[in-house]
Amino acid sequence: METLKEIINTVLKNRGKKEAVMINADSHLRNDLGMDSLDLAELTVRIEAAYDVDVFADGIVRTVGEILAKIEK
Amino acid sequence: MKDTVFFKDSLCSLSISWEQLLNNLNKKKLYNPYCKSSSFYEIFEHIILSMLLGEEIILLDGDFSEQEIEALVGQKDTTTFDKPVSSVLSLSTSADLITKISSPASLWKITLFTSGTTGLPKKVSHTFSSITRFVRKGDAHLNAVWGFAYNPTHMAGLQVLFQALLNGNTIIRLFQLPRDLIIHEILVNKITNISATPTFYRLLMPPDFKLPSVQRITSGGEKFDKTMLGQLSIMFPNAKITNVYASTEAGTLFASVDDAFSVKKDFASFVKIENNELYIHQSLLGQSEQFQNEWYCTGDLVETVSQTPLTFRFVSRKDEMINVGGYKVNPNEVEEAIRRIDGVADVRVYSKSNSVLGNIICCEVARLNPELTEPLVRTELQKSLQEFKIPRLVTFVEKVQVTRTGKIKRS
Repeated sequence: METLKEIINTVLKNRGKKEAVMINADSHLRNDLGMDSLDLAELTVRIEAAYDVDVFADGIVRTVGEILAKIEK
Repeated sequence: MKDTVFFKDSLCSLSISWEQLLNNLNKKKLYNPYCKSSSFYEIFEHIILSMLLGEEIILLDGDFSEQEIEALVGQKDTTTFDKPVSSVLSLSTSADLITKISSPASLWKITLFTSGTTGLPKKVSHTFSSITRFVRKGDAHLNAVWGFAYNPTHMAGLQVLFQALLNGNTIIRLFQLPRDLIIHEILVNKITNISATPTFYRLLMPPDFKLPSVQRITSGGEKFDKTMLGQLSIMFPNAKITNVYASTEAGTLFASVDDAFSVKKDFASFVKIENNELYIHQSLLGQSEQFQNEWYCTGDLVETVSQTPLTFRFVSRKDEMINVGGYKVNPNEVEEAIRRIDGVADVRVYSKSNSVLGNIICCEVARLNPELTEPLVRTELQKSLQEFKIPRLVTFVEKVQVTRTGKIKRS
């Protein structure tokens, strides 16, 4: 979870957005973390580099918990 | 001209004079229309031999795999096409050689393969007149020393070869040499002319020294890099800098002193622009099965500057445009913006398939300053590029990857 948090914050920071202090499994990527499609695209690349999993391959993932489930599969 | 060097290749520790070239040609007993070699000299010698014999020559890249050769030729082994040379050549002087190759038999043609990024390379054949359309002869060219900075089996390399060959010049290999050796070769051999891609020139930067012997710099094969122009003028203080537009299909077509090409009167009815794409009339092209229509669509996207005379700027290759979630991104534009950032030596922008947006923009940056970081690159780019054009992944490398033609690798 810590690595994933770091990745999420890197993506937000890269786009000049505010880093998220509270990130948990229920955090919604778009609504809570304010990610748009460019952020999500970057997020997939960085997660893939770290975990070798394309979390969006089967469709859009909405929450941090859904990402964790795919990584831990 | 007796002792003049014809070709020097420091990577192969080879130096061949014009006299040695004559001797080597006079000894030839076999001819094979297929030319595949990793030796630049062997390729040049083979081309000259084909012209003297009036036989077709088919150039295969030295690094084509057996599978590629089989697909192109029909068999893996091309040595079975060897045949005896029909007559003894008996060349006496280099002037004799130049006279003979200046008017090869009408059957002579040179066939090469387009360096397409997808599918099997396509065959294009040129006659002597189409391949030498832009060769200039005369006293002003007699003492030129050419830096050879292209793949010898591709169109741009052939343009340099014929220009040097038909004027009895010296050719010095620069292609694939490390930066320090390139500079050494230019200085030691007093190279006067260099024709190369913008990528080649960028690898010579920064301009922390001067190379005064060079009188002419030609840039071609990729989008002209205006940022580099100033740096080139520092490095080559005595050089006139020209930008050329050439293609495997048509050879050299246009030249200009900046990035806008004006179509000369003679060519006006053979060039047109439709939907921002450049079309060339078939009469200016070589021969190929791929040329089915009267007008050949070049796949080059251009911007029209004026109608009379028709003047245009190259924007990008049509197939280079990257589709990011429905937005078209020109990788050349992104590269130009990155190159303007302090501390960037070179950059390569490429696409990576992405499950969210279809494709995303990535880049490799060779940096001069280790303090240049990914966030810094992004912050700088936000000042000049739309958000969807900014690379989502920036990696730092020692040297950016180039294709076998010496252009930036896009995939």
